[in-house]
Amino acid sequence: MKKKSKLDFDKTYVWMTIPLVALFFLFNTYPLIKGFLYSFTNFRGYGSYQSVGLRNYLDLFTDARVDHSYLFTFGVAICVTILVNVISLVLALGLNSKIKFKSGLRALYFVPNILGALVVGYIFNYFFTYILPAFEKMLFGSGSSILASQKWAWVAIVIVCAWQAIAMQTIIYISGLQTVPEDVYEAGAIDGSSGWTKFRTLTLPLILPFVTINLVLTMKNALMVFDQIMALTKGGPAQSTESISYLIYNNGMSGGQFGFQSANAVLFFVVIVLISIFQLKFMGKKEEQL
Amino acid sequence: MARISFQHVEKTYDNNVTVVPDLNLDIKDKEFVVLVGPSGCGKSTTLRMIAGLESITSGELYIGDRVVNELQPKDRDIAMVFQTYALYPHMTVYKNMAYALQLKKTPKDEIDRKVKHAAEILGLTEYLNRKPRALSGGQRQRVALGRAMVRNPEVFLLDEPLSNLDAKLRTEMRAQIAKLHKQLDTTFVYVTHDQTEAMTMADRIVVMNKGVIQQFDTPAHIYDHPANLFVATFIGSPKMNLTDVLLEKKGNTYYIKNEDLHFAIPAGKVNATFDQYVGKTVTLGIRPEDLHIEKIMVDTYPDAIFNATLDLVENTGSEMNLYFNYHGKDMILKTPSRFDYKDGDTISMAIDKNKIHLFDKETGKAIS
Repeated sequence: MKKKSKLDFDKTYVWMTIPLVALFFLFNTYPLIKGFLYSFTNFRGYGSYQSVGLRNYLDLFTDARVDHSYLFTFGVAICVTILVNVISLVLALGLNSKIKFKSGLRALYFVPNILGALVVGYIFNYFFTYILPAFEKMLFGSGSSILASQKWAWVAIVIVCAWQAIAMQTIIYISGLQTVPEDVYEAGAIDGSSGWTKFRTLTLPLILPFVTINLVLTMKNALMVFDQIMALTKGGPAQSTESISYLIYNNGMSGGQFGFQSANAVLFFVVIVLISIFQLKFMGKKEEQL
Repeated sequence: MARISFQHVEKTYDNNVTVVPDLNLDIKDKEFVVLVGPSGCGKSTTLRMIAGLESITSGELYIGDRVVNELQPKDRDIAMVFQTYALYPHMTVYKNMAYALQLKKTPKDEIDRKVKHAAEILGLTEYLNRKPRALSGGQRQRVALGRAMVRNPEVFLLDEPLSNLDAKLRTEMRAQIAKLHKQLDTTFVYVTHDQTEAMTMADRIVVMNKGVIQQFDTPAHIYDHPANLFVATFIGSPKMNLTDVLLEKKGNTYYIKNEDLHFAIPAGKVNATFDQYVGKTVTLGIRPEDLHIEKIMVDTYPDAIFNATLDLVENTGSEMNLYFNYHGKDMILKTPSRFDYKDGDTISMAIDKNKIHLFDKETGKAIS
């Protein structure tokens, strides 16, 4: 009988890994490289194309629609990040305290996370289009959907993004709060800390690693806002809610700007990476090694 | 004045478990009191009630002349040292110690003076800028003590502060805490399950079991005159040997009798309650060091001698522990002398009759 060598054993893992690596390469890495290459061309998504060098990249900085999408996306992302983290932290503090039905409430608050973004978007679309204006009409005599307002449609996007993101971030904050030993709070109570002082001097510094993770995750997710816009406004009214992702998809796929929007996608990728690195470094300095 | 007084204090948790049914205890100002007992006896709960970390179900708790039942921990003028140290992991040693003072808005130079003074007493000066994670267990415990010291509290509470330290460090810290009590001259309430800590540090010891105080007295008195079987076996290491004997009376003399013992109880040990036990079985308690194998003792108590076969001979260096079985009960003899005994040897030993303890077999209460 042939003795199983160590080499055979290792091969099992190789055979387990290869299909996944191949799939990952085929559906992730290959399109990524392809997109990167297209970003140096004037490809419209069909027909022939030529190389244009770095012109797409240079044009990105002068294109008004691209500029607006960046402004809009960053505005939304910053609002969502602040809103989500403040609300999640408050919720987590509540759900981590000694209250009744704690487990049930935790499950309830997690529900938004298991719903698809498009589904949530369409539900809110209905809410903003019919229910909210009806209420407004009852109270003030007249009402219109904020989705139809160039000035306020972005607020709807922020609300929907935040509503869904809060679920996951709350869970992360709850697990963070559970890492703080109870006796530290007890020592604090004897030393005279309570309420806001307790939160500022004990809780917050001790859960700072979780704050960092949450800030990076929310910011990254909010920068990539897409589904909510598809479901709520489709970039409108008058392109006022066009996010970067939406612009890349819309103009790249059906606007004949495949090459140009590929360049946009590459730039956007670099921007998100830079922001995440900055956040991690900046917050890392404030974090305490426990 | 920081006397602490429990008056009919009861502690029942939300799940209807009563940990402390009816506690009455008076701790004098500046006294060092140790609460000792097995796990789950309610000693920590009692301490935490003083701290204000546990609410009181009924009864009244006084610190000084105030009823503190409803007072927040910070308003009770107490400091507490936790078993797990409970240092603030994100603060330096200095900030850990300064924290309470900062919250009280103490002037900066005063904080600095107090923290540095405490650090000097505890030998922490060179570690002031370190975080707790960079300290050893013993150093962390000293920081916890320092944090309590700087507040200059009326009452110092210590919850098993030494149980996370190794044996050598524990002995050192024991002396340091006893010294600290003298320096600070405040009331200390100390919880431990280690009876050596209780014996060595306390002015008075509270022995607790199942939420009930078994005895509250000086270490020497508790050791020499345990109030009941629980105290007798809990305090003392190795623990007290127990065996059942018959109490007899001939004339005015009371005798102890079993299969191989028959001796008169010294007159000094006898009291009025003895008569009700005559003809009944009582529990005889003998501390391991009150059993003797030295020839002079065997000659002195010829009527209180019995033979036993050794199960195990243990040499601790300073003394020897001889393990044997006597009428079905495992017993130990402790002697400072050196003998060449081996497991399986049969030896004669004498009971020091002046040091015997007698207990009611039913209630466990001491009768001698």
